[in-house]
Amino acid sequence: MIAILPRRMGRTGLGVVSIGLPILLFVGLSLQADNFLQAQNIANINSQITTLLIVALGQLFVALIGGIDISVGSVVSLSSTLLVMVDPALAVPAALLAGAVIGLANGVGVAIFGVHPLIMTLAMATFVQGLALLMMSGSGGTVPEALIWMAKTSFGGVPVSFLWCLAAVAVTAVLLNRTRFGLHVYAIGAGEQSAAFSGVRIASTRIACYVICSLAGSMAAIYLTGRIASGDPTMGRPFSLDSVTAIALGGVLLSGGIGGVWAALLGTLTLGLITNGMNLTGVSPFFREAITGVLLLVAVSLHRRKVIGI
Amino acid sequence: MTTTDAISKPDAAPPARRLWSGVKALPIAYVGTILLLVCAALLRPNLLQPFLLLLILRQTAPLAIAVIGQSLCIRILSLDLSFGGVAMAVSYIVTSGMLPYPAPVLLLLSVLFGVAVGATNAYFIAIRKASSVMVTLAMVLILGGVVTALSQFRAQGDAPEILRYIGQTRIGVVPVAVLVWFAVLIPMALFMRYSVFGRYVDAIGSNPRAAGTTGIPHVKVVFVTHIMSSLFAVLSAFLLIGFVGFGSATIGVDLALNSLAAVILGGVTFGSGRGGMLGPTVAAFMLMFCFNLLTSFGLGEPGKQMAQGAIIALAAIAYAAGDRRR
Repeated sequence: MIAILPRRMGRTGLGVVSIGLPILLFVGLSLQADNFLQAQNIANINSQITTLLIVALGQLFVALIGGIDISVGSVVSLSSTLLVMVDPALAVPAALLAGAVIGLANGVGVAIFGVHPLIMTLAMATFVQGLALLMMSGSGGTVPEALIWMAKTSFGGVPVSFLWCLAAVAVTAVLLNRTRFGLHVYAIGAGEQSAAFSGVRIASTRIACYVICSLAGSMAAIYLTGRIASGDPTMGRPFSLDSVTAIALGGVLLSGGIGGVWAALLGTLTLGLITNGMNLTGVSPFFREAITGVLLLVAVSLHRRKVIGI
Repeated sequence: MTTTDAISKPDAAPPARRLWSGVKALPIAYVGTILLLVCAALLRPNLLQPFLLLLILRQTAPLAIAVIGQSLCIRILSLDLSFGGVAMAVSYIVTSGMLPYPAPVLLLLSVLFGVAVGATNAYFIAIRKASSVMVTLAMVLILGGVVTALSQFRAQGDAPEILRYIGQTRIGVVPVAVLVWFAVLIPMALFMRYSVFGRYVDAIGSNPRAAGTTGIPHVKVVFVTHIMSSLFAVLSAFLLIGFVGFGSATIGVDLALNSLAAVILGGVTFGSGRGGMLGPTVAAFMLMFCFNLLTSFGLGEPGKQMAQGAIIALAAIAYAAGDRRR
């Protein structure tokens, strides 16, 4: 059966692994853990993956143009710090502004100066993480009530985290599939030179992708800070690599041009199910990091490139 | 006559301009180090005392050894960010007491572990053709996760006597760690300068496709380079453990980023095929001196992190802009 299925379906990036893995995990956990299918547990999975999904959708834009953003985790940390440190009325604009500025700096470094995206965003990650720790040495602070409400309330029994996911997926889907910008993103990923010859403005589109990715980091921080009702300058640490792992597991080609919303969603769901399954089956949470690493290795190995190296 | 004039024109440039061109061609690390030394002489002259300079050199030794491995990887258009994970695992092997063997066996096991990590990295990078950054970052996650799960954040034990000797004692006024550093650096620099392997590395760095076409064993070079890089990370971890005197789960966390910064500042750039051993070595000293200077100004860990990020970004932008002009 698997042999007759295409390894990858069109430009969405979906394939046997990206669709099969979450289904396999779902079925396996349903049989293995008694309380897996309980409504409360499903709601828990949803709220656990919301932050990662928002970041992964941002990372998707950068991956589609053949880039990578390692600084998005630090953006989450800095935004969380800003949310509890500035005037409550300015908290959300300040977090979003910080995200936009960081994304702009990344984009200019990569698209205008030609710095390798990994080096640029790794340097930015270090700088921004240092800034977050300089502003706030440990978790704490007072989170505006409105943010807590936005992350914890429910509407007619539907947890608001589901609505966050829905909104993030809808906005990304529209941007990628229903706008000229989305078309340009795919065109650059498929072949930058051809896209340039076709009149696509390469630099501005690439910068926009980095800005969107960082803004997604800020949005994720708004949700997560509200959910845990506390600011944390190291909150975003796992998200940089987790978001890359998620989209790679979903079938997004890290060299660009192939991938979509469903791929990011399925990859994130896979990671969420693994974490939840480990909690339910009593596996040490410390192994979660190691398993993420193994999955990242597997995911990047599935996408063989033509060149050896960075 | 005209041709001769045209050829000899650059030599006829005024000495000052030639000097300026030469300075501009130097890696940022040389100018940066001089500027930092001048800055210290004006604002913190105590830092320039020979005793403190030797201490800073001792602090530089672990980073400088890691830098050798990182510069090799970057010269073949790869990268090794797994240093932190390797150092963490080596610290666990050598000091946790979980392996009931004498110190020499534990050191040997660490070396073998380094070979295994390097070979695994190389397998995924060269055979599976995965991104070296993603592979080595994944390796950090795996090693960090496994060591944390095994150690459960328990305090690790004391460093073996031999490592404490290397990390903490001196021969005359010179710290043993510095002697170890030079004992590794000089043969390595000569090896890369004169061996066939060194030529292979330069050829692959300049143009991997052309190197492959001419029959250079690209995959083998990647394997050897990554194994060497991991071995340098193990040696660097030995020095760090010996320097601190006991094991720690956070030992060497900065190694990967600092080594990357040093290599970039030292003039080794991706895809240019340029770069030697001296530039990154000077850059390693420059970074350590810079951190000490910042500490003397009262800047804490977050401030140093910011400086680290800013230095890497600005150096990378400067080189990228320079390459574009060329």
